[in-house]
Amino acid sequence: MLSRVADSLYWMSRYMERADGILRMLKINYASSQDDIQEFSWMPVLRIFTYMDEEGAVRISHNTRAVLQYMVTDRENSNSVLNIITRARENARSVQDHITKELWQCLNDFYHIVRDEKLDRELHKEDPVTILDVLIKQGMLYYGTLDVTMARGEGFAFLNIGKYLERGVQSADILDVKFSDVNYDFRRTDTIYWKYLLLSISGYELYLKTYRSGFDARNVVEQIVLNDEFPRSILYSVDRVHRYFERLRSERNKEAFQKIDFMIGRILSKVRYSTVESIMAQGLHAYLNGIKEDLYEVGNALNQNYFAYT
Amino acid sequence: MQTSELLNSYSVDPATWDEMYTDPERTGGSSSVERTLDLVRGQYRPVVDFMQQMSIEELNKKEELAKRLFMSQGITFTVYSSGEGIEKIFPFDIIPRIITATEWKYIEDGIKQRLKALNLFLKDVYNNQFILKDGIVPVEMVYSCPHYLREMHGFHVPHDLYVHIAGIDLIRDHDGTFYILEDNLRTPSGVSYMLENREITKRIFPDLLPSNNVRSVTDYPNILHRNLVSLSPRQTSNPTVVVLTPGIYNSAYFEHTTLARLMGVELVEGRDLVVDNHRVFMKTTAGLQQVDVIYRRVDDEFLDPLVFNPDSMLGVAGIMSAYRKGNVAIVNAIGNGVADDKAIYTYVPAMIRYYLNEEPILKNVPTYQLGHPDEREHVFANMQKMVIKRTNESGGYGMLMGHSASDEEISKYKMEILKDPRQFIAQPIISLSSAPCYMNGKLKPRRVDLRPYALCGPEGIQIVPGGLTRVALREGSLVVNSSQGGGSKDTWVLAG
Repeated sequence: MLSRVADSLYWMSRYMERADGILRMLKINYASSQDDIQEFSWMPVLRIFTYMDEEGAVRISHNTRAVLQYMVTDRENSNSVLNIITRARENARSVQDHITKELWQCLNDFYHIVRDEKLDRELHKEDPVTILDVLIKQGMLYYGTLDVTMARGEGFAFLNIGKYLERGVQSADILDVKFSDVNYDFRRTDTIYWKYLLLSISGYELYLKTYRSGFDARNVVEQIVLNDEFPRSILYSVDRVHRYFERLRSERNKEAFQKIDFMIGRILSKVRYSTVESIMAQGLHAYLNGIKEDLYEVGNALNQNYFAYT
Repeated sequence: MQTSELLNSYSVDPATWDEMYTDPERTGGSSSVERTLDLVRGQYRPVVDFMQQMSIEELNKKEELAKRLFMSQGITFTVYSSGEGIEKIFPFDIIPRIITATEWKYIEDGIKQRLKALNLFLKDVYNNQFILKDGIVPVEMVYSCPHYLREMHGFHVPHDLYVHIAGIDLIRDHDGTFYILEDNLRTPSGVSYMLENREITKRIFPDLLPSNNVRSVTDYPNILHRNLVSLSPRQTSNPTVVVLTPGIYNSAYFEHTTLARLMGVELVEGRDLVVDNHRVFMKTTAGLQQVDVIYRRVDDEFLDPLVFNPDSMLGVAGIMSAYRKGNVAIVNAIGNGVADDKAIYTYVPAMIRYYLNEEPILKNVPTYQLGHPDEREHVFANMQKMVIKRTNESGGYGMLMGHSASDEEISKYKMEILKDPRQFIAQPIISLSSAPCYMNGKLKPRRVDLRPYALCGPEGIQIVPGGLTRVALREGSLVVNSSQGGGSKDTWVLAG
């Protein structure tokens, strides 16, 4: 496979995962903002998902519509869903002959939907959940189409590596910012706060089934970092990156493979053999930051060894 | 029966050949549907009949569906304005252009004959130059052509094939005679529209294609792929064939990706390739992989910065040396522009006689060389009846249509011509045949041309039965180029 093609597939996939994460998170935070929580603020969201300066963020952090508009349809915000989908589509467009026609059309439709000016208007006036649902569904269509139609070759491996790398980083980010917002106070028993955190990454129901004793920050960390059955946990994401990278093993490019395989294996072991206690001992922030940096390094190594073409 | 109204309002210019209607003189005073249908040519009757059974709402819905299908498939081109890309579709008219089996046979024979001669001309002009020595084509005509490349001199291309893919533009005069308007022998585009327009017709008019006995065009990518594989210089069962594109910002990018997908080959950009020891490689995730055949959609000028334009970012440094060493096949051959130059065009009938000892089947449009003083004088005296073109431009750019230009425009253009007369030719304005278009609930005649696509391989020349019909959507316009407000139609060739 061409290095440029692998690069584009990888980034297309990362952008799609990012868009999905942002949309879900917006939906739940919107619900949270309507739940009569006096102190609800969009601050953590703006901090994780945008490059907005502190001052600007403070200014709109209590203006739900402004935040939604900024995060979804703003053309200036380079991390708005509109711009992320545009980038995913640009990547897809340059590798149209490597993704199925169905997948391309699905992504292309997504692009036209999110660019439609009607969407921007509705986001201002109508029920935002309806609009976010339309976009989330389009993302689901993308995942389904990818799963049903794409051949299980090298391209599929790069798509999944991109997807799970992005997801791992995103889960670490969400967890970190949400905890920083309460100053890493593990004694906090504010049920609603944790409930919405879990909801925003589709982990609420699993939490209820796993832990019978109500909300405990430790359990929240355990599920989001260490539960290997939770598809958004860091452990699960890293495990998938590892699994799909294994598929790239070949006689050619052996050295590069072994190097990156070692890096991923080390991260996987690090997460797998952590416990909530060991994480707490190290400090949650330092721990999450370490993992994020390790994952970024994998990205850089892929760039150097697999995607270099210019 | 609103649609019969839609048919009755169809009024054809009496000095024009209409693809659907016979002699328009006879329509005078008639208003009954039967009478109107009688005047529809046989090949169009089933389609007209089919449309008559539909309401305007239904037809509008079909038109809407066609637009949506183009948009959703990304069959679009991007217009950049105020820093933002806007996706546009090339206008598509839902009514097919229909060609009978007899007409097609004639076109097919004519194009094959012409391509045979043009290919021989390229071989000759880059090697022994018999045709120049015998004075059939003037030497200065060839050497003054900017697309004549001395880098190609004395080099034998595989199978002596220069033109692998050709798009020959045909038009019809007022009596229905076909004329060759242009030979496109470099990187003719539009074939993806031939394929996609057909796919759209399948969706908007279910069952209409088989019931009309329309010949299929879907074989095109397979034939092309087979030809490309057969050109591989390396003796291997599975040579690496690639399509070389200038990249996603090229207006024909959709076509490049469609062809790569339909052939199942890699689509590469210049930056994906590297030349090492006179061999071309592509950079893959598993290291370098040798490339055997390149179907390039990059112009000669940008292909190799070491040989041609040194500023080109689209090409591959050293590719020309790999080509000349015979380590890679490039399709179409480099330097073909000398054969589809608009001034050389005049000599194609002479080439056919010279190389093949045959009379040309398809006629040329009479053409005046403005480099020739007598002919220039004649043209200058009759500017209103002429279309003047630059010999090395395409896409409808740099043209002057004498009948619609102002006196000021004409005198300005004359000044341009006098600066370098060799770069201009003139042709009498040919009216172009008209075909029915569906416009705002009515049928309207609009001018069309036809570009069939010919594929030449070691086994011979094949022309897929179909092509691209371009249509001038503006009323009265004779310019069909997409850059000048043209659209396209699905083109049907009927089986026997």
